[in-house]
Amino acid sequence: MNIATSFAGLNMRSPLIVASGPASHGVNQVKLAEELGFGAVVLKTVCSEKYDNMRYWPRPRYKLLDWDKQIGGRSKQFTLYSYEQGYSGTLRDYWDLIGICKAKTNIPIIGSAFADSPEDWVNLAQHIEQSGADAVELDISSPHRPGSLGFKTTFIAAIRSVVNVVKVPVLVKLAPGPDVVSQSVAAEKCGASAITLCNRLRGFDVDIESQRPILHGYFAGVGGPWAKYYNFRHVAEAASVIKIPISASGGVMNAEDVIKYVLLGASTIQILSVIIVNGWETATKIESGIRAYMERKKINSLEEIRGKALRKIVPPDEIIKWSGEPKNGPRNEWN
Amino acid sequence: MGRVMSGTDKKYVGLNPLPPDFVRLYPPLAFVFEEDCIGCDRCIPLCFFNALKMIDKPEHRYKRVAIVDSDNCTGCGLCFEACPTDAFIWVPDKTIGHPVPKAENNMDDRDI
Repeated sequence: MNIATSFAGLNMRSPLIVASGPASHGVNQVKLAEELGFGAVVLKTVCSEKYDNMRYWPRPRYKLLDWDKQIGGRSKQFTLYSYEQGYSGTLRDYWDLIGICKAKTNIPIIGSAFADSPEDWVNLAQHIEQSGADAVELDISSPHRPGSLGFKTTFIAAIRSVVNVVKVPVLVKLAPGPDVVSQSVAAEKCGASAITLCNRLRGFDVDIESQRPILHGYFAGVGGPWAKYYNFRHVAEAASVIKIPISASGGVMNAEDVIKYVLLGASTIQILSVIIVNGWETATKIESGIRAYMERKKINSLEEIRGKALRKIVPPDEIIKWSGEPKNGPRNEWN
Repeated sequence: MGRVMSGTDKKYVGLNPLPPDFVRLYPPLAFVFEEDCIGCDRCIPLCFFNALKMIDKPEHRYKRVAIVDSDNCTGCGLCFEACPTDAFIWVPDKTIGHPVPKAENNMDDRDI
């Protein structure tokens, strides 16, 4: 039984990846991720110099919504409301971080970058490559992105220019809408090696007592177990159209969620919120859950079930045809 | 830290409400109000900056309490969300090396 995965030219011993975020901004965390059996780590996103203010994390920066303190976080549904911005060090620190991670660990290290002009994207991606990262993830959909950066006007050019200059695989992390499928197709056409589906949503919440937005008063990234349902759909839709591998991300709480993503065609699965709320040990639980499932279903490699559920998707007109519902018609009688 | 805490009423607990001028005055850290800690361990897995640990304290009602390692605490606020008894409070971060803004000099007398 083997859960090793080949993803965009990277060989990983496990399909689990630490998603870009607070669990991947330090060397010790990467070391820990390696010990716990993760396949790879996507480092915290670094922002170009123009967005230097995104280096500063306000305190506090997290809030758990709908999280029941009294039952110790056994809430099934909650929202992690996060105002954490980009990587907290300088660009120089980030290149060093990649270098040290590569020197001290043996798992693939994926650098993550955020910018707004193609020149900055290229600059960051080149530095990430030169620092020794095994791949670059373009975080073109950061929920904290300042202003609005159009996909067509900015990102097509950015992806193209990055793909032209770096040799390592380029992952493109897309937002959960709008138009995930056409953005995936565009990323594939531009030469991306893989796509990451999806980033967190940009959300907002208001406190009705103080009648102000919660936390620091600005939009924040929201995610949580509920996020998997729309993400399953995005992964399924994208996987049936594009050829490049998909790294799924969003709402994974346990091994079942990981298996669902694999059944829908994802190659790797990025997790983060679950590490934050349940601790790093969750990774080993998820891995043993996957192995137990594979044993029960007599599967030798995840490749055997990848995309299996995808091929069972039934188009709506088929459903109407075979259901032949006899009870349709008007319900207009007024009693 | 003990000096900061003396005579504190727990007016500003958790994230809501934040103390007035919170962002300007504090780079805050989490701090455990020991009388309220029940030693339940729930905050430990939520802190992934290694800033929280349980210590034995025989004289305490529950024999053990959580303490915050102020060097590692990044003030992210997650432990506030975990604590069923609201034992966490904010204290000013004195581990930061940068010059303290003027308004912060007189912190010790403030209600926190």
